[in-house]
Amino acid sequence: MNPSLKQVVRMLAMVPYLQSNQGIPLAELAREFDIRPAQAQRELEVLMMTGWGEFHGELIDFDLTALEEEGVVHIRDAEFMPRPLRVSRSEASALMVALQTLRQSAAGDQAEIIDSALAKLAAAAGAAEAPAVDVVEPRGDPAVQEAVAEALARRRRLRIVYVNETRDEQTERVVDPHRAFTQAGHRYLSAWCHRAEGERLFRVDRIVAAQVLDEPATTEADSRSRLEDLFPADRDADSITVEVAPGADWLVEQYRMEVESEREDGTVVARMWGTDPDWIRRQVMRFAGRLRVVGPEEFVEQVRASARLALGAYDGVSPEQGV
Amino acid sequence: MAQRKTERLMNLVFTLLATEQFLTKDQIRASIAEYREDSDAAFERKFERDKQELRELGIEIEVGSHDALGGVAGYRLLRSDVELPQIDLTVEEAAVIGLAGQLWDHAGMAQESRTALAKLKTIGNRFDPSAVRMIESRLTAHEPAFDDVFDATGRRMPIAFEYRARSTGESTTRHLEPWGMVSYRDHWYVGGYDRDRRAPRLFRLSRIVGDVRPHGRPGEYEVPEDADLKQVARALHPPAPEATAVLRIAAGRAHLLRRRATAVERIDPTADRVEVEYAVTGDLADEIAAHGPDVVVESPAELRDAVIARLRTLAGVSA
Repeated sequence: MNPSLKQVVRMLAMVPYLQSNQGIPLAELAREFDIRPAQAQRELEVLMMTGWGEFHGELIDFDLTALEEEGVVHIRDAEFMPRPLRVSRSEASALMVALQTLRQSAAGDQAEIIDSALAKLAAAAGAAEAPAVDVVEPRGDPAVQEAVAEALARRRRLRIVYVNETRDEQTERVVDPHRAFTQAGHRYLSAWCHRAEGERLFRVDRIVAAQVLDEPATTEADSRSRLEDLFPADRDADSITVEVAPGADWLVEQYRMEVESEREDGTVVARMWGTDPDWIRRQVMRFAGRLRVVGPEEFVEQVRASARLALGAYDGVSPEQGV
Repeated sequence: MAQRKTERLMNLVFTLLATEQFLTKDQIRASIAEYREDSDAAFERKFERDKQELRELGIEIEVGSHDALGGVAGYRLLRSDVELPQIDLTVEEAAVIGLAGQLWDHAGMAQESRTALAKLKTIGNRFDPSAVRMIESRLTAHEPAFDDVFDATGRRMPIAFEYRARSTGESTTRHLEPWGMVSYRDHWYVGGYDRDRRAPRLFRLSRIVGDVRPHGRPGEYEVPEDADLKQVARALHPPAPEATAVLRIAAGRAHLLRRRATAVERIDPTADRVEVEYAVTGDLADEIAAHGPDVVVESPAELRDAVIARLRTLAGVSA
């Protein structure tokens, strides 16, 4: 749908919304419709040019003093449209796809709640057809997924056995689950970890085993538990310079690298960060031929040495060092 | 220009909403400035197009007549047809819909969701997503073709687009009756009947080049009842493990590999013999090479060779 038509739908929704929210700050109106305040301001100006006739009292009006001085919106002469129009097909589709996706990992009575919500949305749209759109969720151990969903739904503590890939270690912890979300193709659990005594982010596919405990989760979510925290944002951590081969540029995004330059053949030179040198080395070695370290020199040498040592186990040159 | 059109469409909706009577075309024209200023022919064209565009937005203008019009066609919007009926959501239903409204990481879809929520709020519903706790997926759509394909799929409208072949990098024009869409690992695919190949096909949206064009009318085809897009999509899943590798893993190392073990046998205090199942040799070889000397392949030979090739690259030894 072209942008001006979407704007028509939004502005038609604003007219009754503003009548039932007289005095709403402009910024809040913008947030409600997921647009910038300047855009909201422009749309109010357009609304003032519209109405059921062309004379005063027939055109929509706003209390301009309140808008200019206090930044709040009072709508007038819009009584001809007291109710919103039906939820449009495309609006319903957007929400229905999202609800169907949520339903895949519903626990307890959540699936029933989602089904009744879907039915009410279909009624709101006047058409019951859910869009033929599927989101295939990252697969994992179903028992772990179910335990995570159940602990969240019932607000119970969870005992997990977790593999920390950065440190290559396996530990057992008791956590209070706060949120589970999917990002960049992986599912994460943010939780208070009673072992670390802090908010931690766990990749669900690295939870080896999970058991819902009877004890209630007692801590509340920490707003800082975001994926961004997985990768150091301050860039104080160690970094290396790598060459990313043509065709492997998805690695740049995956590891949040900073591109320094791009060669004519498509090779990207980029900076890659990590808090743990062993972890960085494993990532580089995993993508042999696609990622190549060019600096610093001692890191280049470490990768070479590790690979030579590994080769020794196969050549029989130094088998005792292999394992 | 765009703003004039926005104003015109809004005025048309408001004019028709404000009366319960049928209005004739002349009455409508008389009350909207832009229509008045147009020539007769330009007005006719514009009015027809405006009605069509409102219909696509789900605002169906009713055509009819009554005695006072003397048989002349009239137009109206019946409130009972176009207004949102009263819908009362429970706290839990509102919570899941509120959560659903946060899932889209795509400007267009996020705005559609928010507008729907605003409409439901206007009639008295309150949304508190924290009233339920569940696994929140993230729905992303970075592909420029997403909006048009999503729209066409929902309206069963045939489309045409340039599609870049993965092998050659060359584009060809494809004609598709979209049946449905699938998202897998943050990539969107559209499946349907390929009019050129005369068979069901799956297309990756990121390989669609340029604009998606309509190639027919909405509702022109039916989606076959036995169309199973999930079946087609299953081809996107990682293949099921078929082979077994025997690895030597240093004690207390490579935990992610050990996670997948089907058998573990202690060799001595420094190492274990671990069996893992796998489907794609290259993927497992990547994971093994990452661990350097901590993981050594005992069998099969094909995997062993793949790991050695990677290690040679890393060691700077020419193969």
